[in-house]
Amino acid sequence: MRLNNLLIYFLISFLISCSDNKIYKQENYIFGTIIGIKIYGESKINAEKVSNKIFDEFQRLHELLHPWEKSIITDINNAISKSKSISINNNEIISILRSAKYFETQTQSLFNPSIGKLIDLWGFHSNDLNRDKIPNQNKIQKLILSKPSMQSIKIKDEILTSNNKNVQIDLGGYAKGYALDQAKKILVKNNVKNALINIGGNILALGKNGEKAWRVGIQNPRKPNVIATIDLEPGWSIGTSGDYQRYIIIDDKRYSHLINPNTGFPENRTQSATILIPPSKNSGIKSDVFSKPLFIAKTKNKINIAKSLNINYFLIIMNDNSIFISKSMNDKIKWEENIDKKNITIF
Amino acid sequence: MTLSTINITNRDHQIAKLSAIAVALSLIEFFFPSPIPGVKPGIANIIILYTIFKFDLNMGIWVSLIRVFVTSIILGSFLSPTFFLSLSGSLFSLIFLIAFRNLDRQNFSLISFSLIAALAHIFGQFIIVRIWIIPHNGVFYLLPIFLVSAFIFGLVNALVTNKLLKLNSKK
Amino acid sequence: MIKKILQFSKLIKSGDWFVIILFCILIIISAKTLWNLPQGKYLEIYKNNEILAIYSLNQQISKTINGIKGKTEIIINNGRVRFSSSPCSKKYCIHQGWISKTNQTIICIPNKISISIVGTKKTYDSINY
Repeated sequence: MRLNNLLIYFLISFLISCSDNKIYKQENYIFGTIIGIKIYGESKINAEKVSNKIFDEFQRLHELLHPWEKSIITDINNAISKSKSISINNNEIISILRSAKYFETQTQSLFNPSIGKLIDLWGFHSNDLNRDKIPNQNKIQKLILSKPSMQSIKIKDEILTSNNKNVQIDLGGYAKGYALDQAKKILVKNNVKNALINIGGNILALGKNGEKAWRVGIQNPRKPNVIATIDLEPGWSIGTSGDYQRYIIIDDKRYSHLINPNTGFPENRTQSATILIPPSKNSGIKSDVFSKPLFIAKTKNKINIAKSLNINYFLIIMNDNSIFISKSMNDKIKWEENIDKKNITIF
Repeated sequence: MTLSTINITNRDHQIAKLSAIAVALSLIEFFFPSPIPGVKPGIANIIILYTIFKFDLNMGIWVSLIRVFVTSIILGSFLSPTFFLSLSGSLFSLIFLIAFRNLDRQNFSLISFSLIAALAHIFGQFIIVRIWIIPHNGVFYLLPIFLVSAFIFGLVNALVTNKLLKLNSKK
Repeated sequence: MIKKILQFSKLIKSGDWFVIILFCILIIISAKTLWNLPQGKYLEIYKNNEILAIYSLNQQISKTINGIKGKTEIIINNGRVRFSSSPCSKKYCIHQGWISKTNQTIICIPNKISISIVGTKKTYDSINY
């Protein structure tokens, strides 16, 4: 008799633990990458409704900000290349451009959303990356000497002008972050308290995954597994710039899509730079934008730039597999691989 | 000054005899190579089980501990890691047997006791191995193999012990 | 042999079965958790945004999946899986090689096909890549 009761008890607790169906999950391909939305604790109908709203918003932004397919951005770029002024009847675009300009200054131009011509030259303005030769050195030189910058763009009374024909706006390092902030707004507006949004690796955590924090895996830049996991506290976001998603190989060397505006060449000393950004109105944008300077800066400058941008949580993996990590990040992270401690420098 | 004499009882004789056989079996087993290091049939345990079931648990404890100490002294491995492995395994077996001594003999035969003792033995050895001999978690990789061998030999030893008990009760 | 079985059946009692079964369960659990047996692992194939199929990793087969760009072929080989052919131009998915561990994922973005290994326990909710 006692045995019977024991069996029943086990059966029931087993079944309870199996039926954790409170998570709604949906994935889609937008922005040229996978978008994943997880919502906890909402009815399926509500979660689906909000999730669709978010996907629609992402699709809208994808079309609005596209760097090379017809969009307002390409229209602006066309005008700039012809030294013409263009009228922008779109407050959203104007505030995005102003914001991008602000962040370029903040990051000492290491995040530079105006080097579209360089990015195009290296063949990254395409869905198929099949460039197999280094671009003409003269062309590269010409472009970097002209120092394209968002500073050259002036917007007054909704009319945009630029005095630098080589400026071509590419918001690739900004759009995903902006989309994340927009998603946050939609979630809050629809009273969804617990969600995890992943836009091509840029992740925002709202609330919690039930009783636990949302746990995120950080990709190993060279292997198809996770190098570490970290719990995202409510409202925090994480972003990574890496050389392992979009890149070309020329003569056995890897050239990633992250181009150093000063040299005109893709940055190849760094494999990945991951940052954590605390909750704020534009934390999504920061989690996208601020990983670029950490990726591109010279090794000896990386830490200083992190400090100047107030980034307390960073993890940088260099090409020789050495790791730079901030103390706060090191305390928070849980390594999933056996990392040789000799390779880690804690700041 | 009064001379105190040690009275040697029949019980002591029994313990000595059984321990001697147990030690002999341990030595034989030692010289028999095993395909997987650490996987042994533990035939000395037959004697210990026999002792517990023919006589009592108390005697079984004596025989078991004497077996561990004497074997290790003879083999020259006293106080070596092997000794502590053996001691730990035996102690854990005994502790579990003591804990389960009140198991209803109507529903549980010596098979259960043998299995429980075998499981505890493996457990006791693994603790020493993990803490002292191979101090990282890779060692747990071997646990399933040892569990299987404990299961098989636990059963076999139980059968042999049973046979021995039957033979000796006919006398 | 038969004699042994006869002995066994005379000896064994109801409580013994309980101990035997518990012991066996213990062995299985320890093997599953400590050995990460492929029996516990499945492959999830996603097409576009939906799950297309689930396959046990414990077999040797190849599967063809129709994506938006063309046919993608994957091979499952006793605990591991890889893309063997794909209509994308850079073939990153193929170059990733074999994956075999829980949560490992390979994505072919041009053809909108992704494969992901699922085990019983996920250690994280999403990947920052």
